[in-house]
Amino acid sequence: MNKEQLINFEEDIANTFNSGKIKAPVHLYSGNEQEMINIFKNIDSNDWVLCTWRSHYKCLLKGVPPDILKARIVEGKSISLNFPEYKIFSSAIVTGILPISVGIGLSIKLSGGKNWVYCFVGDMTSETGSFNECYKYVVNHDLPVKFIIEDNGKSVCTDTKKTWNTNELTYFNKNDKHIYFYQYETKWPHAGAGKRVQF
Amino acid sequence: MKYFDELKRSMEMLAEHPDTIFIGQAVEYAGTAMTNTLKDIPSNKLLEMPVCEDLQMGITNGLAVDGKIPVSIFPRWNFLLLGANQIINHLDKIPLISDYKTKVIIRTSIGSQRPLHPQDQHIGDYTEAFNSMCSTVDIVRLDQPEDIFPAYVQALNRQDNKSTILVEWGDYYNEK
Repeated sequence: MNKEQLINFEEDIANTFNSGKIKAPVHLYSGNEQEMINIFKNIDSNDWVLCTWRSHYKCLLKGVPPDILKARIVEGKSISLNFPEYKIFSSAIVTGILPISVGIGLSIKLSGGKNWVYCFVGDMTSETGSFNECYKYVVNHDLPVKFIIEDNGKSVCTDTKKTWNTNELTYFNKNDKHIYFYQYETKWPHAGAGKRVQF
Repeated sequence: MKYFDELKRSMEMLAEHPDTIFIGQAVEYAGTAMTNTLKDIPSNKLLEMPVCEDLQMGITNGLAVDGKIPVSIFPRWNFLLLGANQIINHLDKIPLISDYKTKVIIRTSIGSQRPLHPQDQHIGDYTEAFNSMCSTVDIVRLDQPEDIFPAYVQALNRQDNKSTILVEWGDYYNEK
């Protein structure tokens, strides 16, 4: 999918949500389309993608057909989209996917596989103890896991850096075998599309 | 057969399955009463973990998502509490929020009180509490030696996409 298609999909979901046809929270992306397209150029169909509650672009770029994805979102599943046939695993619990991604990476290594696990997290999650444990385990055991930190500057509505009383995130602009950091600004609120429901 | 012997026999039965892997603290190294039940398990089946229960339980879930059958070992309920997020919010909910087929076997115990009493942070029994929090995970308390082997056979062979927590009594290693 190209940038325009990604934007159009999310706009369609926003309109559907605002019209009251989705009886569950949605978390929308915007402003990071080209970053995501570039990241997914390196992700093979047999690689794993682990997602948080904000995952529509990841699902589309991993190959989930837009009509199937939209149907699942309209069912109310936006915050925990799981597609085993596309090797997509999502959790709506902060830090939940971190050690699960490590376990999948370990399983691949034990089986002699060649695929990778791409675990997408937000900036607040990247500052947690769980992230540090998981990153350390992955690096020290050389597991096929890469953490993608997506910094939109906030956790729900909270300023991540302010809560940790720091001017710079721990993994700011880090880019190596097991970690990639990027920043973006979104036009959407944390949840919903700016109308009707505040989750 | 005695309580310990049945546990050891059960572990060796589990080890014969090609997809099982034993994960936890004191599985490769000595350190707990449970270690002795694993002493004849092939070393390539044992994965020693840092003391980091949320990480251990999350890795357990990840192994299961990719098709393994992890046997995840927590020496006491009190320690397992630190991995509760990955059990209650993830392992238990995976069948409800996805079509992933996961089968995990979790082994824990009610800490022994005889001959040494380890005090209140090491003897918890949270069987009922976890029962009330879990929608899909089965919790089985192993009260008698004859309960043990059939419970592990059921945990390994079940086809209902459910995982199992098997709860031992530390005191019964010496008493039954």
